[in-house]
Amino acid sequence: MEKCIACGLCAEKCPKKVDDEFNMGISKRKAVYIKYGQAVPLKYAIDPEQCIYLTRGKCRACEKFCPTGAINFEDKEEIVTIDVGSVILAPGFKPFDPSVYDVYGYGKIEDVVTSLDYERLLSASGPNMGHLIRPSDHQEPKKIAWLQCVGSRNNNRCDNTYCSSVCCMYAIKQALVTAEHLSGDDISQTIFFMDLRSHGKDFEGYYENAKTKGVNFVRARPHTIDPGPEGVGVSIRFTTETGETFEELFDMAVLSIGLEASGDSMALADTFGIELDMHHFAKTGSFEPVNSSRTGVFVTGAFQAPKAIPRSVAQASAAASSAATLLADARGSMTRNKEWPEPRDIRGETPAIGVFVCSCGINISNVVDVEAVAKYAATLPNVVHVENNLFTCSADTQELIAEKIKEHGLNRIVIAACTPRTHEPLFQETLKDAKLNGFMVEMANIRNQNAWVHQREPEKATQKAKDQVRMAVAKITYSSPLNQETLNVTPKALVVGGGIAGMTSALAIADQGFETLIMEKNNTLGGNALALKMSFRGEIVKPMLDGLIEKVSTHPKISVATEATLKYVSGSVGNFKSEISINGTLKQIQYGVAVMAIGGREGVPTEYHYGEDRRVMTHLEFDAQVMESIVAESEKAAAPDKGKMENPQSVVFIQCVGSREPERPYCSRICCVHSVKTAIQIKEKSPETQVFILNRDIRTYGVWEDYYQKARELGVIFIRYEVERKPVVNLEENHIAVKVTDPILQLPLDIEADYLVLASGVIPNQSRDLVEVFKCSASAEGFLNEAHPKLRPVDMSVDGLFVAGMCNYPKPIDEAIEQAKAAASRACVVLSKETMKLDAVKSFVTDKCDGCALCVDVCPYNAISLETVDSSLDLESASYAETEKCKDSVVATTLNGESHNLNGSFHRRIVTDSALCKGCGICFATCPKEGIMVHGFTMNELKAQVTAAIA
Amino acid sequence: MLIFNVGALANQLGVHRNTVTNWIKSGKLAAETTAAKKYAIEKDIFRRFCIGEHIPDEIVEKILTGAFEKPTAPKPRNLHNIPQREPIMRKKNLGSVMVVGGGIAGIQSTLDLADSGYYVYLIEKSPGIGGAMAQLDKTFPTNDCAM
Amino acid sequence: MNDQFEPIIVGFLCNWCAYAGGDLAGVSRLQYPPNMRAVRVMCSGMVHPNLVADAFHQGADGVIVMG
Repeated sequence: MEKCIACGLCAEKCPKKVDDEFNMGISKRKAVYIKYGQAVPLKYAIDPEQCIYLTRGKCRACEKFCPTGAINFEDKEEIVTIDVGSVILAPGFKPFDPSVYDVYGYGKIEDVVTSLDYERLLSASGPNMGHLIRPSDHQEPKKIAWLQCVGSRNNNRCDNTYCSSVCCMYAIKQALVTAEHLSGDDISQTIFFMDLRSHGKDFEGYYENAKTKGVNFVRARPHTIDPGPEGVGVSIRFTTETGETFEELFDMAVLSIGLEASGDSMALADTFGIELDMHHFAKTGSFEPVNSSRTGVFVTGAFQAPKAIPRSVAQASAAASSAATLLADARGSMTRNKEWPEPRDIRGETPAIGVFVCSCGINISNVVDVEAVAKYAATLPNVVHVENNLFTCSADTQELIAEKIKEHGLNRIVIAACTPRTHEPLFQETLKDAKLNGFMVEMANIRNQNAWVHQREPEKATQKAKDQVRMAVAKITYSSPLNQETLNVTPKALVVGGGIAGMTSALAIADQGFETLIMEKNNTLGGNALALKMSFRGEIVKPMLDGLIEKVSTHPKISVATEATLKYVSGSVGNFKSEISINGTLKQIQYGVAVMAIGGREGVPTEYHYGEDRRVMTHLEFDAQVMESIVAESEKAAAPDKGKMENPQSVVFIQCVGSREPERPYCSRICCVHSVKTAIQIKEKSPETQVFILNRDIRTYGVWEDYYQKARELGVIFIRYEVERKPVVNLEENHIAVKVTDPILQLPLDIEADYLVLASGVIPNQSRDLVEVFKCSASAEGFLNEAHPKLRPVDMSVDGLFVAGMCNYPKPIDEAIEQAKAAASRACVVLSKETMKLDAVKSFVTDKCDGCALCVDVCPYNAISLETVDSSLDLESASYAETEKCKDSVVATTLNGESHNLNGSFHRRIVTDSALCKGCGICFATCPKEGIMVHGFTMNELKAQVTAAIA
Repeated sequence: MLIFNVGALANQLGVHRNTVTNWIKSGKLAAETTAAKKYAIEKDIFRRFCIGEHIPDEIVEKILTGAFEKPTAPKPRNLHNIPQREPIMRKKNLGSVMVVGGGIAGIQSTLDLADSGYYVYLIEKSPGIGGAMAQLDKTFPTNDCAM
Repeated sequence: MNDQFEPIIVGFLCNWCAYAGGDLAGVSRLQYPPNMRAVRVMCSGMVHPNLVADAFHQGADGVIVMG
């Protein structure tokens, strides 16, 4: 495996073609293959089930052609034993196979594909390279239908009664992306659905946007797909809510398949002896959402329950946090850090460049005349040594490079080979081992961006390779050693907010050994959980909450400040400083990271006569006043002492009160489950009570779907209303009159209710002050934003800040705990290092800066600020390399500066915070006078490269 | 016609998927390739094959009625019966973690742990990491490239 | 413009997307004309207008900024 250079010759020569499972069998791959173009590790592998040699004992063609001898047919499966302190299971899911449904014709009708097939059809790296064509006749489909809930919310021919949580959104995405692939006015996308579940952050807006872009949403469950005329396209039969049956032709049908547990993951669970739930997903509790039934074994991702990417990622970090907490005392015991020799000081040396041209076996040399390139390189200015290697990346060549550096006193190296994106770190290490600064190497990409893409034009490719080498030589001539700044890290955390999320985060951080301060604005810890009776799974909240408060209050590494507010923040990741006010007293604190967990709250309804009548309540009010009584009533029927309350005859819930409205255009995620769960409790304790849930869509995502099913079995009546025709509520003396139009009967209904429960949405607690002091970002609705909606769900855009709980988006307890642990895990990544090594590619200010501040506003990371400085100190902040280059002008400034100082004058200029800077260089492109540049990409370096490109 | 994929059928019959593949290759199980990784076989031929292999009738019927794609849950095994190595009693915890699965969740767990001072063994059954997310074209709600 | 015209194009490629895309084109063996000379930058936002002007001034026939 080490020998493989991913040249792909083996796959080219392999005679055996097999279905490519990565492309869902739509295209072919060879029996020796890489999973996909960007695969990690980028090493070819032999499929033992397909390889002709391994199955029939003859061939070995790949072995003959492999230029590095990387293929070893003698390799045997090896059983290795490893001792570990903890295990995290993340085997994922299996896409549902819809061929069990003959009515959909998957596998029989060519133009019926699954959503995952379709994903590959759309993908630029897919079988058609992003050109969307249907399977039957390879024409562009114009009219496409999506069928939701295939293998989800269903127990016919499968046992998947849960909601797969992701299909509604991916279908909308596919519909929108389809429109980008196709041209013409006659394109249309139709999504057939039951309930549209856009219950995540920014999902509802995405759904609304799809509607305005012309995606048709049809509430129907098509029962049959037939082949279209002449075997192309499909004919779909469906019945709408009003009972009318239609038959419509589409060019293509996409089955939105659900996620299910795979046999492999069940076997894995068996191996580890952990329990699965009724849907064969790993069993977890709401308060310990990543703990399996076995201590030390944690579960995450779709193995625990079907979920979208961001929650999988957050859960993965949460699992990491739990594993790390368990093993906190052994941190660092099995890892080691590599030490490098002190680099030689090359200041004052004239550039002495060594060029190494790689043949990459024959990958480069069969197109590019590498010897000609090497010969040409020797003629370039400052080049003192040139070499052509068969494999420049091989271990012996690394030794050779080090030798040549010593022998010729080289101080700059150019490698003409493959891409710096994979190989630059290797050569940087070689340089560091040879006592050179790691940044004194430049790569010319003559393989991926030359030999491989100009295979039919060897002469032009050779010319291009020469140009590329010339450009690299020109650039490296102007390069100077770069330093990776190190910062000390203050190993302390600040947690803003003392609800479940805040306390969980603080506890996880403190358990990993770091001092933590919790700031709570109220005078008690607990937050919203103080008002919650039980989790959606039915676990009682109070004992857990009491335990958590107890642990937090007594933890030796946690201090709690109540009635505390944040006044001021300075510094950046690793070293924040703040002033906080605790009960009016000001206090200075220092910390390396901060977790924002300021929470949200139930909105106060303004509609449906809320506030005018005690019988109209919100969820939390109903839980506190009525549910307690109903539950207590039936449990202690024999003790009718205190103020007995008659069980109500009828309770009506209205969903989406203050959610999915123009002023709050998001789904509050938790209200549907809350109403359904409450309705079940009412029905269980008092079956004669009539319960109605008036809704726009029921969004019992994931395994909560089971409650929806159970509620219907218990006789809870669900009536859908259109947002244009909301229920009308009138307060009568003996009851509340609720009028709603039933979409199936198409008749207005009058319901007499004893109680009206308004499922009021969640609104975020005021985040403006935090956003201001930390310069982080929040959505238009006030929810604190994550750095990336998929891949960095708990990091914030400002490094060192993390977000957890309802202040990020409405969520139930288990998800809040997941996010809190995830935030702790991410925080501990920073805290666990005594010093932080920063990237060397950072912006730096030159003496040409005159403080015009044009760059301050364009910096996306708020890393630049304007300061008035003593001119004589300018030298300090410029890097020594840069200083050298501009020596003359700097000296002049210094002299000038001194004279100014004598007069007591200072000037304005910008300063950059290298901890915040990401090296994007927008400042550099904005500056009209080269007052700010980026290390490794200075104007001189880039100009030299451009000049060399054209010369 | 019975349409099946090798994995699911193997699971149902309680044999390794290679066994099923070999049956098909050797012609013992006279199935034909259809769509992606799928095979088709006449139901009667399949029945005869199953009789030859002494496969219980109820399993055969289950397969033929099409309700087999969902593999059955493993029997909960008594923990005490799992053949285990003698647990090594240690005074100190080991600073290493095994992560099973190289999809987006496994990768994230691995990175977090490795970045905070733990040695991580990431185990992935296929030749590359990335999992299902790598197969996706774009992601909602930002239409970012999944890769 | 005759058939022999071989334009010189200077390309500024963002390390994270366009340059990575260029690499992927190589892994996938997609063939394209060899007229562009790539300058790798850390972000296409880093490309100073002067660099573009400079390229044209020195005789480039085209400049492409990809990011």
